[in-house]
Amino acid sequence: MSFATLVLRNLVRHRMRSVLTMVGIGVAITTVISLGAVTGGLKTSSQELAHIGGADFMVAQKGAADMTFSTLDGADLVVVRDVEGVERAWGGLLLVSRVGSNPFFFTWGMEPDALAGMKLELTSGRLPAGGDEILLGDAAARSLGIAPGDTIELEGHRFTVVGVHQASARLEASGGYAPLTAVQEAARKPDVLTAVHVVVVDGADVAIVKRDVENASTRFAAISTADDYAQIDQGLELLDAANLAISLLAIVIGAIGVMNTMIMSVFERTREIGVLRAVGWRGSRVVRLVMGESLALCLLGAVFGILLGVGATRLVTLVPAIGSVLAPTYPTSLFVRAVVIALGVALVGALYPAIRAVRLSPMEALRHE
Amino acid sequence: MNEALVIEAVELTKGYEEGRIAALTGMSLAVRPGEFVGIVGPSGCGKSTLLHLIAALDRPDSGLLRVAGHDLAHEPDLSHYRAQHIGIIFQLHNLLPSLTASENVQVPMFELGWRGRDRDARARELLGLVGLQGREAHRPTQLSGGERQRVAIGRALANDPRILLADEPTGSLDSQAGGMVLDLLERVRSERGTTLVLVTHDAGVAGRADRLVHMLDGRAIEEGPSLRSATLAIAG
Repeated sequence: MSFATLVLRNLVRHRMRSVLTMVGIGVAITTVISLGAVTGGLKTSSQELAHIGGADFMVAQKGAADMTFSTLDGADLVVVRDVEGVERAWGGLLLVSRVGSNPFFFTWGMEPDALAGMKLELTSGRLPAGGDEILLGDAAARSLGIAPGDTIELEGHRFTVVGVHQASARLEASGGYAPLTAVQEAARKPDVLTAVHVVVVDGADVAIVKRDVENASTRFAAISTADDYAQIDQGLELLDAANLAISLLAIVIGAIGVMNTMIMSVFERTREIGVLRAVGWRGSRVVRLVMGESLALCLLGAVFGILLGVGATRLVTLVPAIGSVLAPTYPTSLFVRAVVIALGVALVGALYPAIRAVRLSPMEALRHE
Repeated sequence: MNEALVIEAVELTKGYEEGRIAALTGMSLAVRPGEFVGIVGPSGCGKSTLLHLIAALDRPDSGLLRVAGHDLAHEPDLSHYRAQHIGIIFQLHNLLPSLTASENVQVPMFELGWRGRDRDARARELLGLVGLQGREAHRPTQLSGGERQRVAIGRALANDPRILLADEPTGSLDSQAGGMVLDLLERVRSERGTTLVLVTHDAGVAGRADRLVHMLDGRAIEEGPSLRSATLAIAG
């Protein structure tokens, strides 16, 4: 018999209690995994927005409460183009509207020549040449069941689909590109740009060009990473904060569950602990026994929680409205975080019960009925 | 200090509840290696307290208690002392219900640093010694009272102790099972030279000891050979 066998035997002894505790930990880990995957996915989607058409970064209005509220204009585009190291820059207006069952259909309004420079991979049809024409992402065309020649309506304006392109970015694939003036008209935002996308000259340092662009106007925020988004959109930061708060709450509840289970377990086995001490077990070994049981519970809970978290998140993204804007990400760090949290919950949850167990005098423990 | 003694207790006192209950009031005892000493007396006379002090489950309030060369009033690592020198048998077997007979016997061995395979082999050997070969995989609920107590004896022998302490080991058994347990304890003692200190209030059990110590109100009031050893001495 190994020490691990001894640990597991104690868990199996109270199967239902162990399973329920494990499920409690599992739900906490599920929360961590699901929220982490969703937040990570949103960050990735946001980051992809800054790089559409092969742009190195995107310039938006600093301090805008939300990306869609960013307001630039043609003069800003000229300022950006004049910054040293900028090879190419083009403006775009982002219109988010409901199309079919998708409440977050992203349409970028861009000048046709800018669209031509973006090297979009067409799978059918052609690029919009002007007027009320739109190029759909492949996922959007598929989910809407639309092909070139069909029409869709954006904010009351009818657009004719002239082509479909294959996109790797989630928001691009489930949205579309249309001429700038048509989108400005549909959005009732004449002459307004949401952002300017920038390609730097070969060999230029993107970070330096970003800095120079931001120095060119106090209104500019240059964005290439999810972290840069904080300058124009507090949504992701709020999401991070909410993620942290909910995860912490789940962890605290999980830790209380583990502590409750371990306290009950130690209390019920007071006499047994006395016997273990009587046959020569040191206090440290009793602590290891209690900690081991807690760790086993939490690690099993973590495995269950990770599987449930990945499964539940995947299930949620099957809903078109969610799947169109969100591709959950599962970086290794997310799973490492889940396991570390489970280990932390195990140690915190077992700390008091372990101290209680080791402080029992063998005599008192043996007298316990 | 007498080096020839394995247990030497001088004027031991032990109280509980801040001294309101005096369990030992000046108990003295001397036990030679390999001796079988019976501790007898009425309930509450301090027999079990004495046994627990020898087992280092508690420390005396005052007096000298030297066991296997260790001064137990000042011994820094009582767990190590127990693991090395003491085997203890309770009135109730106190086996861990989730473990098999073999696993119960292996429990003390964790503290001795033995490897898994060695623990298994030793447990099998000890269960054979107590007459439970073939019952290694049985849990306590699948064993009779006498068998459970024999597993407990196997567990107490796991560390090959110098001193075996038995607190009413037959108290919860019928006479036949109790007799078998006593036979086993005597055999272990004679084959291994283990010192046996047995607490009982059963005259029949006490009669099998080499020497009896009568306790009353926390101290020894009389000491002498048991009836059997006296008879054997006369016959011899």
